[in-house]
Amino acid sequence: MTHKAPAGRTLKVDALARVEGEAAMHVEVRGDSVTDVQLQIYEPPRFFEAFLRGRRYTEPPDITARICGICPVAYQMSASRAIEDACGVEVTGPLRELRRLIYCGEWIESHTLHVYMLHAPDFLGYESAIDLAQDHRDVVERGLQLKKVGNDLIELIGGRAVHPVNVRLGGFYRVPTKRELGPIRARLDAARDAARETVEWVAGFDFPDFEHDHELVSLHHPTEYPVLDGRLISNRGLEIAEREFLDEFVEQQVPHSTALQARRRRTDEHYLVGPLARYSLNSSRLAPVARDAAAAAGLGPTCQNPFRSIVVRSVEVLHACDEAIRIIDAYEEPDAPCIPVEPRAGEGHGITEAPRGILYNRYRLDPEGTILDAVIVPPTSQNQPTIEHDLWHFVEDHMDLDDSELGRRCEQAIRNYDPCISCATHFLDLRVDRA
Amino acid sequence: MSGVVVIGIGNDFRRDDGAGLAVVGAARSGLPEGVRVVESDGEPARLLDAWAGSDTVVVADAVRTGAPGGTIHRFELGREALPATRGVGSSHALGLGEATNLAAAMGRLPARLVLIGIEALELGEGPGLSAAVARAVPAAARQLVREVQRAPELAERTG
Repeated sequence: MTHKAPAGRTLKVDALARVEGEAAMHVEVRGDSVTDVQLQIYEPPRFFEAFLRGRRYTEPPDITARICGICPVAYQMSASRAIEDACGVEVTGPLRELRRLIYCGEWIESHTLHVYMLHAPDFLGYESAIDLAQDHRDVVERGLQLKKVGNDLIELIGGRAVHPVNVRLGGFYRVPTKRELGPIRARLDAARDAARETVEWVAGFDFPDFEHDHELVSLHHPTEYPVLDGRLISNRGLEIAEREFLDEFVEQQVPHSTALQARRRRTDEHYLVGPLARYSLNSSRLAPVARDAAAAAGLGPTCQNPFRSIVVRSVEVLHACDEAIRIIDAYEEPDAPCIPVEPRAGEGHGITEAPRGILYNRYRLDPEGTILDAVIVPPTSQNQPTIEHDLWHFVEDHMDLDDSELGRRCEQAIRNYDPCISCATHFLDLRVDRA
Repeated sequence: MSGVVVIGIGNDFRRDDGAGLAVVGAARSGLPEGVRVVESDGEPARLLDAWAGSDTVVVADAVRTGAPGGTIHRFELGREALPATRGVGSSHALGLGEATNLAAAMGRLPARLVLIGIEALELGEGPGLSAAVARAVPAAARQLVREVQRAPELAERTG
């Protein structure tokens, strides 16, 4: 940090406790304009990329699950699909459905955590979910119960909820019997009701008018709301295969953050991944119950207001509950818990939709299956330039606020993106320098 | 479900942040039968689930109080404030302190919650505890087992 704010006021807020991980934000103001916004985040995938080199091709599903306690399934699925791609294997049928089912669990759990524990308090004027719980215990209890269904779904398929151990290349070590899915199926009806109530609840919040025409990027599947695979598309005409990701996107080192920032390779423009992008590019693929709830909540077919992301997340939770029900009802036990994945020399790519947006993985293997090289591009590093862009405009629009209120509102604006700047500290230092 | 639950909190890819998991791992074989053991990343809602139905909760976690690395602390909820747990190694924004506050608001506090904390030294990326913390793990594990044995539920059963 080399900012020399001459006699500027410096505000330091030990805050943003409700962002996953570790971050600091620096805003510099000169006169009436914002001259700099830097979001400094720390991200662990860099370490894991190095840690994976030289390891067996079968290890990444277990190792990468440790990158994030909130979205381990996303890391497992992107890694598995990238390595299977390198080995010329595609997982289909009931095994693919089980992968989508465990992923539904992660969407339910991660989104519900964010909606109830992290984001809703902002809209309702509470310091934290703890204060919210003191006044609205039943509401928070509904969130905790809904979240627990997601948690238990991951535990049932994945063997345990934090860092699931049952996922392997080609499928699973063990798959559930139809009967074993019975108890969770019985709870999913109530979960779907709770999810519908959640959409109705958050739809009543007040949302500032704040929209920017970012390029939105997500997976797109011919028949499904995207989770596990598909083409990569955008609202600006991008349409590519997963393997072409690095042709179109580039990660750059910026001095103020240990996380790399991704941008469009050809234009250097920032872009947005995550619920708003997924929804805007795929809302017609939502389950009817989720589509209806979205319409009743006032969402159009697209949504570019990051403050409304809490509604979109809630709609996605409803979709995930409905999809989990559909998958379990149609479930036929596969002949084997996994299909064989033999090593070969090559390169493979995989993108899945983590709760926070696309998570890209690339692996290179030698003929014996030793990992030569791994690239992991998480959603938050892709969104970081967009978050900075939004903060820039947000601060310019709210210069009249005092530092403390401005800081509070900036934190809320950051939380809109549910940045998983994970595996790091609790502390965000917010500094506003006004010369 | 009733009785005692032992919860190890941590991230073993953030060096000493894995101390809580290491303590629970070392204590496991010495725990009385019927004691539930849970590994957690410390996310509050999961912690509430982990101790649901249990009267006695014994948690092992890395702490930062400023004491020398490897120092073993014991805190009992209700008797003293919990220290900052996890430090820079957290994989999430919230920890045991938030979990107990949330539990209090939700009426979900256990009757007794004891934290065995190990003062963290190194919280950088990577596996492996620092030497000072690794040396403290066996003693912390013994203390955790003693804490569990003292639980009234188990005392009634055995005595």
